[in-house]
Amino acid sequence: MVGSRAQIRRAKILTWIALLLGACFAGLPVLWMVASSFKSNLEIFAYPPALIDHSFSFSAYLAVLGDPGQLRFFFNSYLVAILVTICTVVTSILAGYSFSRYDFRFKRFLTLIIIGVQSVPPITLMIPYFGLIVWLGLYNSYTALVLTYMVFTLSYAIIMMTGYFNTLPRDLDEAVMIDGGGSFVTLWRILVPISLPGIVSVGVYTFMLAWNEFLFALTLTRTNDMRTVPIGIHLLMGQHSFEWNQMLALSVLGSLPVLILFLLFQRYFIAGMSAGSIKG
Amino acid sequence: MKRYLIVLLMILLLMAGGAASAQDVTLEFQQWWEPELPEGSFRAILDDFEAANPGIKVETISGPYLTTKDQIIASAATGTMADVVGLDGAWVNVLWKQGALASLTQAMMDVDYDDSELAAQIRLAGETYMIPIANFIYPVFVNLDLLEAAGIDPPTTRAEFAAAAMALTDPDNNVYGWAQPLSLEQPNGIQNDTMSWLWASGGSMLDDMGQPHLIGNEALAETLEFIKSLHDAGVVAPGSFAMKENEKVEEFVNERVAMIVNTLAHFTLIRERNPDLNFDITALPAAEGYDGPRGLPYASWGIGISAHTEHKAEAWKLIDYLTSVEGNTKLTSIANAFPGNVNATPDFIQTDPLFMTAFEIFQEGYLANEFTGLPAAEELMRQMAEPFQFYLEGDIELDELLEYAQEEWENIFE
Amino acid sequence: MDTSEAHAILESGASGWEKRKRKFLPYAYLSPTLALLSALTIIPIATVFLYSLVDNVIVNPNPPVFVGLDNYEEVLTNRKFRGALGNTVYFALVSVIAHFIIGLSFALLLNTRLIGNKTKALFRVIYILPWVFTASIIAILWRLLMNPHGVINFVLLELGFVQEKMEWLSDRDLALNAVTFINIWAGYPFYMVSFLAGLQGIPDDLYEAGRVDGGNSWQLFRFITLPQLRPIIVSLALLDFIWTVHQFTLVWMTTGGGPMRSTEVLSTYTYKAAFSSHEYSIASTLAMIILAICTFIGIFYVRNQRMADE
Repeated sequence: MVGSRAQIRRAKILTWIALLLGACFAGLPVLWMVASSFKSNLEIFAYPPALIDHSFSFSAYLAVLGDPGQLRFFFNSYLVAILVTICTVVTSILAGYSFSRYDFRFKRFLTLIIIGVQSVPPITLMIPYFGLIVWLGLYNSYTALVLTYMVFTLSYAIIMMTGYFNTLPRDLDEAVMIDGGGSFVTLWRILVPISLPGIVSVGVYTFMLAWNEFLFALTLTRTNDMRTVPIGIHLLMGQHSFEWNQMLALSVLGSLPVLILFLLFQRYFIAGMSAGSIKG
Repeated sequence: MKRYLIVLLMILLLMAGGAASAQDVTLEFQQWWEPELPEGSFRAILDDFEAANPGIKVETISGPYLTTKDQIIASAATGTMADVVGLDGAWVNVLWKQGALASLTQAMMDVDYDDSELAAQIRLAGETYMIPIANFIYPVFVNLDLLEAAGIDPPTTRAEFAAAAMALTDPDNNVYGWAQPLSLEQPNGIQNDTMSWLWASGGSMLDDMGQPHLIGNEALAETLEFIKSLHDAGVVAPGSFAMKENEKVEEFVNERVAMIVNTLAHFTLIRERNPDLNFDITALPAAEGYDGPRGLPYASWGIGISAHTEHKAEAWKLIDYLTSVEGNTKLTSIANAFPGNVNATPDFIQTDPLFMTAFEIFQEGYLANEFTGLPAAEELMRQMAEPFQFYLEGDIELDELLEYAQEEWENIFE
Repeated sequence: MDTSEAHAILESGASGWEKRKRKFLPYAYLSPTLALLSALTIIPIATVFLYSLVDNVIVNPNPPVFVGLDNYEEVLTNRKFRGALGNTVYFALVSVIAHFIIGLSFALLLNTRLIGNKTKALFRVIYILPWVFTASIIAILWRLLMNPHGVINFVLLELGFVQEKMEWLSDRDLALNAVTFINIWAGYPFYMVSFLAGLQGIPDDLYEAGRVDGGNSWQLFRFITLPQLRPIIVSLALLDFIWTVHQFTLVWMTTGGGPMRSTEVLSTYTYKAAFSSHEYSIASTLAMIILAICTFIGIFYVRNQRMADE
């Protein structure tokens, strides 16, 4: 875009305004959540509402952090989410490659199957699926959670990976093939490095789902030493009353490490970081 | 893959070894109470039980209340149900139908148990399946400061209640006379904040055969009309159609609602939330001219045994302990509940004047919760809540509401 | 992208074994996926399908009876089902479209070269915030915000935008839009992150060529960015549609399908059938109908994929 300085200045100002508006949309509700987590349960419902009031304290955070049970939930959530992310990303890269680069007889059928398994509402699957996990002897184990979340995330991951691979020109990998590289080498050496942004976004998605899932985490586990953060949050929802500030504090605490992880990985989303190899 | 198999094998071996070396019987006890009670206090009661019954260990499986019913159904369907389960009166019927619950009548007969101390037993087809061990009654909580400012006494009749609600409502200052949670997610507002008015005046929503009796039920029609008049008068806090029980109490402690029908389980919570709140409790107002005993809506923590347990005798021992004078006193003392054993006396009844009032209300009235033990009780409430919302909104007439609900209820009763 | 030449070279040079290998390879790459999915989903889905053809399952003392398609007839002729279907279509379509617009706008904003990288990093983290919370907490947060005595009403009243306390979640004229709004808020980061990744794959020289040809920003967006992102857009829209049709927790915990069924969607309707009325046959039938709807959408996706291949 060739523009005068004034034009660029105007574009900059407009961009800033848009960015700030977007930040309000995304961030203000979360700001309210953070503010409320420092209030007393009484003041959370006060009217007129205030962002910070006299009840400001860290007591909700201390209550959560002082509970070894909650810390165990954190550990479990991380372990499960990280394992699921690794397994799903690797599996979906292989599958996405197959769908994107090969023509084969049952391709459309298999694509539909993969969409189909995702299309049954999880709530109705719960009882028969639970029965299967018990039958397999996986009840109340990390394995059960990891495999279950892989089932949940694979369809999404495969379809997204196929989409990303489809945006990359085929000449790239076929040139390598012609040079005598096997398909596996092509995938690993050429496509995967270029697709890192896509892979990271699939990984982020997978991590979030595994981190936040509640229903199956509750059903497939029995003891608290296998349970995850969302169950910890739900345990604060009592029969007659909620521990509002502790629930919010727990969510805020849970989100912090996820945000830090995202901060680390976001360099893959910076324009020009990876496009170089395509341009070449 | 190989390594994975080896690990799996080792885990299996370990599990087998662990099972073989165990001499004690371990009872699994699934309930939602442990997270509701002060940290460690429930475990302490179970420890006492274990000390008194060597050879039996109790392992608690605790989950959030809202999902406990679904979890028990799912575990019963997959053969993983805990030996002893905590029950709500609204779930008993469906679990019984599913064949998940063992007959407690049978268990009592096996050991020649004398059930005269039990305050209540929930029976289906003539046999007991649930014993309520802790009861939480629902009186009316009133904000005394607001009442005094308006110069009124706690209401005892519906007319007085309506007048008080009117006098107390001040929308400009965000104060309302009453709050009625009618969320469709948790439709227990139909039980606690709607039908309770009927029961308090000696009415019933069932006929003598225990079947739905909504059409032509004069007392019910009057009750629903009375509630609609409150909504029409604008004395009910806004947001009623999405409000849940836990938000009702937050409105009350924030002094935006002057009167609520509310569970005694909220007692300590209200004091903790707002120590300055000056409140009292009173019986639910009755219809004009009714002076019989007032039905008291209540929720209970009930207990039952899995039909699939291998340790029925041990499971009964646990129930026996929790319903005994000693065990029941301990449990209801920490739960601030009224006992399931008629001879148990939780300490707060002697020490706290407000609880003494509540205990008087409890003794003058009778426990009334007609939804307990009914088929798909939650769905019954929901099938009443939905048309009730239409009725309050003015879309349908009372007759249509009752006709619709009667038909839906009959379908559920089959 | 002309690849026929490469194909020709590959195929002419391939021996019989090579050909067989090429036939077998795609299945090999898919094998982990297929193994996992068939091991863990065939039996449960088949069970749900069977349930939909019988009566008296799970919570019923009577033995199951085969009833054929009776359950389907019962569901499809039910007025409440059609209401829930209509709400679902509205909820899903508005959500998908809004997710797309917001997700793409934010991704483009975050991809601009007008702003420094550190600033963008900060905004990226802010924009992803709605995504890091579990659905039940999002529901609880928005119930607090949308409470008649909540902060949204307070701000709107103070600014004079409204004259009375709005009952966002308990007024039937507002509730469906309120819930849809919450779902839009909660779901757009998925698009945004996917688009951010997709934008990195667009070669810069395409834009340079476009600029040389005198294209303005809109034309560059319209004729380069959008077509390049197309495979991702199609995948996202498909996934998001299925995802939104299944969205249960958000709707359930904010309105429970009310008031007056105005936010009843297929997922809440199914849940009630399963765990409130305890009619698992009906719930399973609903599941199969939802499966059929999603698979039907999936067929469009597959068609689209085939067109992309050609």
